[in-house]
Amino acid sequence: MLRKVILCGVVFGLLALPALGQAIPKDTLVIGADLGIIVDLDPARVYETTTNLVIEQFYDNLVDFEGTFEVIKPALAERWEALEDGLTWRFYLRRGVKFHSGNEVNADAVVFSFTRALTLDFAPIWMLDQYVPTADNVKKVDDYTVDVTFSAMLSEGLMAAIMGVQGICAVIDPAVVEEHKTEDDPWAYKWLQFHDAGSGPYKLIEWLPNDRVILEGFDEYWDGAPKTKNLIFLGIPERAQQRLALENGTIDLAWDLLPEAIDEFRTIEGFTVVEVPSWGITYVAMNCGMEPFDDPLVRQAIKYAIDYHAIIEGIMKGAAVVGQTFIPTGIPGHLEATPYHKDIEKAKDLLAQAGYPDGFSTQIMCQPTSPRRDIAVQVQQDLVEVGIEAEITQLISAQLYTLYRAQSHFIIVAGWGVDYAHGDSLAKPFAHCCSTGADAPVRQLAWRNMYSNCELTALVDASETELDEAKRLEMYEEIQQVILDDGPFAITHYPLNQYAVPNYLKGFVAMYSDSYTEFCGVYKE
Amino acid sequence: MIAYIVRRLFWMVFVIFGVMTLTFFIARVIPADPVAAVLPSNAPDEAIEKERARMGLDKPIWVQYGRYINGILHGDLGVSIRTRQPVMEDLIRYFPATAELALASLLIGIVIGLSLGVVSAVKRGRIPDHAGRMFAIWGLSMPAFFTGLMLVILFSHILRWFPLLGQMPAYLRRPPHVTGFLILDTMIAGNWSLVVTELRHLVLPAFTLGWLSTASIVRITRSSMLEVLPEEYIKTARMKGLRESRVVLKHALKNALLPTITVIGLRVASLLEGAVLTETVFSWPGLGRYVVSSFLSIDFPAVVGVTVFIAFLYSFCNLIVDLLYGYLNPKIRYT
Repeated sequence: MLRKVILCGVVFGLLALPALGQAIPKDTLVIGADLGIIVDLDPARVYETTTNLVIEQFYDNLVDFEGTFEVIKPALAERWEALEDGLTWRFYLRRGVKFHSGNEVNADAVVFSFTRALTLDFAPIWMLDQYVPTADNVKKVDDYTVDVTFSAMLSEGLMAAIMGVQGICAVIDPAVVEEHKTEDDPWAYKWLQFHDAGSGPYKLIEWLPNDRVILEGFDEYWDGAPKTKNLIFLGIPERAQQRLALENGTIDLAWDLLPEAIDEFRTIEGFTVVEVPSWGITYVAMNCGMEPFDDPLVRQAIKYAIDYHAIIEGIMKGAAVVGQTFIPTGIPGHLEATPYHKDIEKAKDLLAQAGYPDGFSTQIMCQPTSPRRDIAVQVQQDLVEVGIEAEITQLISAQLYTLYRAQSHFIIVAGWGVDYAHGDSLAKPFAHCCSTGADAPVRQLAWRNMYSNCELTALVDASETELDEAKRLEMYEEIQQVILDDGPFAITHYPLNQYAVPNYLKGFVAMYSDSYTEFCGVYKE
Repeated sequence: MIAYIVRRLFWMVFVIFGVMTLTFFIARVIPADPVAAVLPSNAPDEAIEKERARMGLDKPIWVQYGRYINGILHGDLGVSIRTRQPVMEDLIRYFPATAELALASLLIGIVIGLSLGVVSAVKRGRIPDHAGRMFAIWGLSMPAFFTGLMLVILFSHILRWFPLLGQMPAYLRRPPHVTGFLILDTMIAGNWSLVVTELRHLVLPAFTLGWLSTASIVRITRSSMLEVLPEEYIKTARMKGLRESRVVLKHALKNALLPTITVIGLRVASLLEGAVLTETVFSWPGLGRYVVSSFLSIDFPAVVGVTVFIAFLYSFCNLIVDLLYGYLNPKIRYT
């Protein structure tokens, strides 16, 4: 027996020994992230931010953006111009750009890519087909020139925001699709779910679902080969594990660190915390179709009852900034206004004016995960102080969003991410609703919360096609002010994108939208 | 014997069919829309409706059921709403990693569990008995995610003896796919240093999961041994002058194994439950994480597919255990 125990000990020890001295090679960058969300790498179907982050590395669009998205920069198109009809934009392609296959990026590839995305018609296509409804709107002029005709006159900013949407507007290699198509699958969708046909700085080597995505630098990239040859996204679903893995060198960067972990890294030697505002918005919404939230005074009372400071400091641990308007910092048109703060007397007074001096009972719905659940608890406590009894119902997203989309909630704690880099992608969901029925053309947040305001909807429609930049930004400010005063949303904060970056890692630039982060300029010193 | 096996397999088909039908309808009466869960909350309603139609979820439930049964008869478990892959392919993709983990943890569970169970029974009331039982209770009462995290913090983070997560280091390439079982494929590729690395990655998750099995096996082995040890034939064996180790291991343990085998049989299938948490803590790319994600997004086809798979595992393990009874106790006859 003793001999067996000793033998087991020796085996255990031998297995433990090689642990010493293992490190990630200098030419390899390993990023830990929750990859469970990645289910498809076909750019025509990709919708979630983590998947967009991954395909950003191996696909290119016609246009791209700088860190804050206020600056549009050329990508596969080196320049563009609006034609006289005002609807058509002409794109002049960069010459000599190669796909990973070695084929050249040309006008045929651009036309093919848009045709493919529009024909496959997957969920994210609405961002493109609202302005470019059919493949006939994209035409080759010559080998390096393409015309895209939009269904409305768009400003350069809105046009670029649409052309810059990741996935559906990426340019793919027609020859590779041709090679892998089948009779049942003429667009090679099944093949592109697991492979790439792009021209980005990295090539996809292998995607092992739930485990890792392995990429290798593309030496012939038009903007120069990546500074780090290998890029690996490693699946780590547990955020606590990401923190440990980053500290002990198993990974070079963690993508989903908790604010508590970020705080710890501020004091750990060898790390620098990088943070930028994100494109996220967290809000508490009231359903105006349910009494008493149909009364603007009640909605205002609740906005004054919430302790925004407690949410940002206590729950978000500082990983958020104050923001109460629906266009977040970094997107042109943001209205810098934060009139609401916890004011119990004012909230009670507003409730009394609305005819509810003793409050009322209601229900708050949220997801059963932090921080939304914690925010719901905070709001529940705040509402008690003004006499409102709120019961919290926690639901998984499959249930929560089913009820939300059916307009069956009273109060909900939820969030929103920007779909494309323009105020239009926020004005429509937050303020476009003239009918709360199924006939409404935009059935998003204002509609889900049954906030109908035809005058405001007309203003949103007008802002969409307003070509005068200054005038359009004024319109966005006006729309935000109306929603701030009268709307169903109490926006609690804008979360921050936070990263603990090891000091040996250079060239990392945090983006307002983390899915646009590029790693081709990141290297180890 | 063969007639018995055929009859059991016949009933197994009925059990699995019943589980499948029940799960199919339960999953669909839950007031939740899986498409709303798998698309971002930003997705407009039209996109959700389009996706539902694409998946056939806009059809009446009986039509969906008919299609599903038709698919099953052709070996097709449907397409996962979340992963957009055939469920059968998903199961084949994720099962090997879980199987490797489950087998290693079962091995740990059996070796440690049987040893501690026998020692506890033989040294009843003394320190080894108390220590063994404490070890068992500890394993049973601590949730796998807690055990896993503690082991990770001690052995990976502080002592740095074992890797923190995954099946192998991120920067190393997997061997060519032959069986899907990583260690087996690495052996086939002849990369022995990578085999050692993979075994090191396996130690902590296998021990975390194995501890749960160890606990049950220790307790059942101990109590069975305590029943067997006072028997007359054990006394006879001792009087014949056999060595104590031979008396305990050959005569007592073999007869005490019957209930232990039942527990081990049930553990094989239930290891999947433990794997759900263990795989999450250790970022192990197996079926456990697939199960969690599928259930949380109410992914009907995946939920039914996984449930059918687990039902099959349970039924199959029970059959094997019943057949092992005959080997361990020749008095048992199959009719």
